[in-house]
Amino acid sequence: MTETTNPLSGPEATAQPGHRRAVRLWQGVFVLILLGFVGLLALRLVQTTQSEQRADGAAPAFTFTTFEGETITLDDLRGKGVVLNFWASWCDPCRDEAALLEATWRREQANGIVFIGLDYLDQEPAAKAYLEEFAITYPSGPDLQSAAARRYGIKGVPETFFIDPQGNIQELVIGPIVSQAKLDELLDKIRP
Amino acid sequence: MIFDIGYLVLLTALVLAAFGILAGYLGGHRRNTRLIQSSFNAVYAVAGLVLVASAILWYGLLSDAFQLSYVWNHSERALPAFYKFSALWGGQAGSLLFWCLLLSGFSAIVAFANRRHHQVLMPFVNSVLLTTSLFFLILLVFAANPFARVGFMPPDGQGLNPLLQNYWMIIHPVMLYLGYVGMAVPFAFAVGALISKRLDNEWVRTVRRWTLIPWMFLSAGIIMGSQWAYMELGWGGYWAWDPVENASFLPWLTGTAFLHSIIIQEQRGILKVWNVVLIWLTYFLVILGTFTTRSGVLESVHSFARSDVGPYFLVFLIIILFGFLWLLFDRLPLLRGEHTIDSYSSREAAFLANNWLFTGIAFATLWGTFFPMFSEILTGERISVAAPFFNKVNGPLFLLLLLLMGVAPLLGWRHTSATAFRKQFTIPILAAIVVGIFVFVAARSLYPVIGLAICGFVAAVIVQEYVRGALARRATTGENLLVAVVNLWSRNGRRYGGYIVHLGIAMIGVAVIGNEFYQQSLSVTLAAGESTTLGRYELVFQRMESNREANLIEFGAVVDAFSLDSGKQVGTLIPKRNIYDKTPDMPTSEVGLHMSPIEDIYVVLNGWDDGGASATFTIYVNPLTVWMWIGGIVLVIGTLIAAWPHSARRRTEAVRSLAYAAGDD
Amino acid sequence: MLSINLRRQPHLFFILLLLLLLVSTRSGLTQDASTTPTAPVTANDVRDVADELWCPLCSGVRLDACELKACEQMRDVIAEKLTAGEPKETIKDYFVAQYGPQVMGEPPMEGFNWLAWILPVVALIGGGVFVWQRTRKMVVAPDAETEAAPAVSPDAYQTQLDEELKHYD
Repeated sequence: MTETTNPLSGPEATAQPGHRRAVRLWQGVFVLILLGFVGLLALRLVQTTQSEQRADGAAPAFTFTTFEGETITLDDLRGKGVVLNFWASWCDPCRDEAALLEATWRREQANGIVFIGLDYLDQEPAAKAYLEEFAITYPSGPDLQSAAARRYGIKGVPETFFIDPQGNIQELVIGPIVSQAKLDELLDKIRP
Repeated sequence: MIFDIGYLVLLTALVLAAFGILAGYLGGHRRNTRLIQSSFNAVYAVAGLVLVASAILWYGLLSDAFQLSYVWNHSERALPAFYKFSALWGGQAGSLLFWCLLLSGFSAIVAFANRRHHQVLMPFVNSVLLTTSLFFLILLVFAANPFARVGFMPPDGQGLNPLLQNYWMIIHPVMLYLGYVGMAVPFAFAVGALISKRLDNEWVRTVRRWTLIPWMFLSAGIIMGSQWAYMELGWGGYWAWDPVENASFLPWLTGTAFLHSIIIQEQRGILKVWNVVLIWLTYFLVILGTFTTRSGVLESVHSFARSDVGPYFLVFLIIILFGFLWLLFDRLPLLRGEHTIDSYSSREAAFLANNWLFTGIAFATLWGTFFPMFSEILTGERISVAAPFFNKVNGPLFLLLLLLMGVAPLLGWRHTSATAFRKQFTIPILAAIVVGIFVFVAARSLYPVIGLAICGFVAAVIVQEYVRGALARRATTGENLLVAVVNLWSRNGRRYGGYIVHLGIAMIGVAVIGNEFYQQSLSVTLAAGESTTLGRYELVFQRMESNREANLIEFGAVVDAFSLDSGKQVGTLIPKRNIYDKTPDMPTSEVGLHMSPIEDIYVVLNGWDDGGASATFTIYVNPLTVWMWIGGIVLVIGTLIAAWPHSARRRTEAVRSLAYAAGDD
Repeated sequence: MLSINLRRQPHLFFILLLLLLLVSTRSGLTQDASTTPTAPVTANDVRDVADELWCPLCSGVRLDACELKACEQMRDVIAEKLTAGEPKETIKDYFVAQYGPQVMGEPPMEGFNWLAWILPVVALIGGGVFVWQRTRKMVVAPDAETEAAPAVSPDAYQTQLDEELKHYD
């Protein structure tokens, strides 16, 4: 018994040109999907290598309610230099910069600079205790649902964003700021 | 001085690899013997040179050459020699060198074994393998130089990551790399076949063993990684669907589909497009996996420290994707099937369903792994995709796959008649029902009933096949049953070894179901001498112990386990916490584990107060989990049986035709 | 040539798949919602809830296995809430509202994240339909070969002979 080979077996046996078009179409779709995937990978790679230079472009909007009940949005602060500090009560390095931030806030609040503290992945009682310990008076509140944190792409705390009066991020510091000189230098970039 | 030589050696290897690629391609194209021989020589030379470079780095590690940045970052004086040796693959640059070492070695073996065969394919095979080596050499020379210097001579190193100072963490990457690297070989043959337009079964028949062996290493590596997670990480499980774990699993999925699908091409000359696509996907996923673990695109507990290699990988991935697609689309008319699928009840249809399922699972896993990245880029929001997603999406698919694994061997080639259905399916279905009823009575929940019933089905199919095969041999040759089974292995190792592999998979399935659905757990603080109960056991915390090693202190809690039924002591478990001198805030733990075929007792030491007056534990009882490790060993044995080379291998076309003419079994 | 069962075969597979997909949407340990505990809350009760939450700072680490301070704080909060009598689901909802969807370990089924769930199903079923159509064309199309294919013989010797010949390698 011999086996017959059938080179045109299967659905290709009929309607050759139409079928070829269909095959080309599917090939095109496949290539596009792969291009999309690779494109996103490339974009992601660029994003991660630039993560230290996230200081670019417009600062993402955010809204939060302070522990005292006041609601603040980033838009309200247009025209002022904003120091946006992400912190948490369980974060040890945050404690290293707390006093410096508060002292500088007191010095600068009349100069059109505003300090904002967004509490990341935290609980109110512990947060309030932390604020009391360092006598923090600048507006601080919980970042509910980590909404702002996710938009600012933070990977941990403390991270501090320096936003100019036009609403653009000028600088980003990852880790605690411990030098007054360095803080002053950064503040100069966002003075109104 | 010698380390500068190491760098030059790598540079030389890079140049020779580039030469070899050209020689292979041109030589194969023009059938020029001298160029072809040059490509072989290039393969051997690159392997030798990379071996020399690796030896130099090993020398640097073992002699504490801390002026080398790699040695400084991954070793220290107090590190035991064994870990100094394994530090070669503990960090970014070293592991890339190790990859290259294994790849170039493998390429040399493949070239040498085939130096007198496949004259048309081999030059292209050499070229493709050298291209892969070239990529890694480019990384080593330009982006991740293992011989880079610190600039001064530090007195001591920073130490090896504590998590890596562990037997499993030594052997598991080696196994995985061997698996990864090996998958380049069948891909090289596929590309060779496409370029040379030799798209008959020559390449498929050749690559079978060259795929089976890496597949075995990859499977073993994945299971060892699971075992390490189970025994060291202490969360009661063995697989977290972490991006790096998925990176190793994805090529396994497409690779397994490929292994099965080429059987169909060999026997029936169909599924040709499937086969080239599956092995291409496997190779792509290997490179993609290597990329994701090193580039920082995905967050994972396993990731290497971020470095500059990302963009290089991206370019290589683009070449693999679009280069191969162009070749495939061009050769598509040559990949027409020689026959067709004749009926839904044929083994071919089952294998096609197999391809569909494996590809589906691979897609779902790839999608889930990369979704957080897509989400962050496209919406700016960070989402986490962890075990719940993968369990829900992949769980039912694996169940279907298990079922198919049992059904496919029972189907005939081309079709299965009603008589055959009855003859083949009756006993296994009965076995499945019996197991199902037993499980339902013992522990009333629906999902494990289905799962374990299917595992019972699979086991029954395998036993039935062995019994029938052995009886058939005895009927014709008069040998006793044991000899018959051994002969089944030596004459039909592929089939009967494959059944053993399936048995191993079924055992793993049983372990997964037991651990997923029947795990019991308890968190408790015990004072010294106090006891608690969980499941059928009573556990007594006796005391704390501590032990000083070279670079760490080991704290252990001695816990005795007693059976509640018999009152007898079942074992002593000593969960531990290791505090390392160089990195005291990165302790590692070891689980106190007592294994038995029915269930494991699993104790994690969470903390203790000074003096060891009391300690906090999390205790798990994990049913059937030991079968995962047993299944892994069975799987490896089955693969060895299937891959074992035997004499008298010649098969003629006439014999094959005769087999088809004579019909199915 | 085609026996009776075959017509039902492909449908069986799809029905089984659908059934299994539906049936396994509740995977993992079966737990009932905790009721108000009358006994003091133990570490075990906390772990019971922490088992179903994920560390928001790590990737893929379950809350009961995470050793970070933030996670310790979360477990303390769970203990407080359990003492106050809150059921497990309420506590989980609280964490999603407070910390965000990353504590759940799977994408929420809303908005863009629907895509995470839908696409694998669509791709699988779409691919399956495509494969099935191709197969059907082959199966249904009359082919000179298949009609000549002989019936299966359950003869043991024949089986043995075919085995040996076919799988000689």
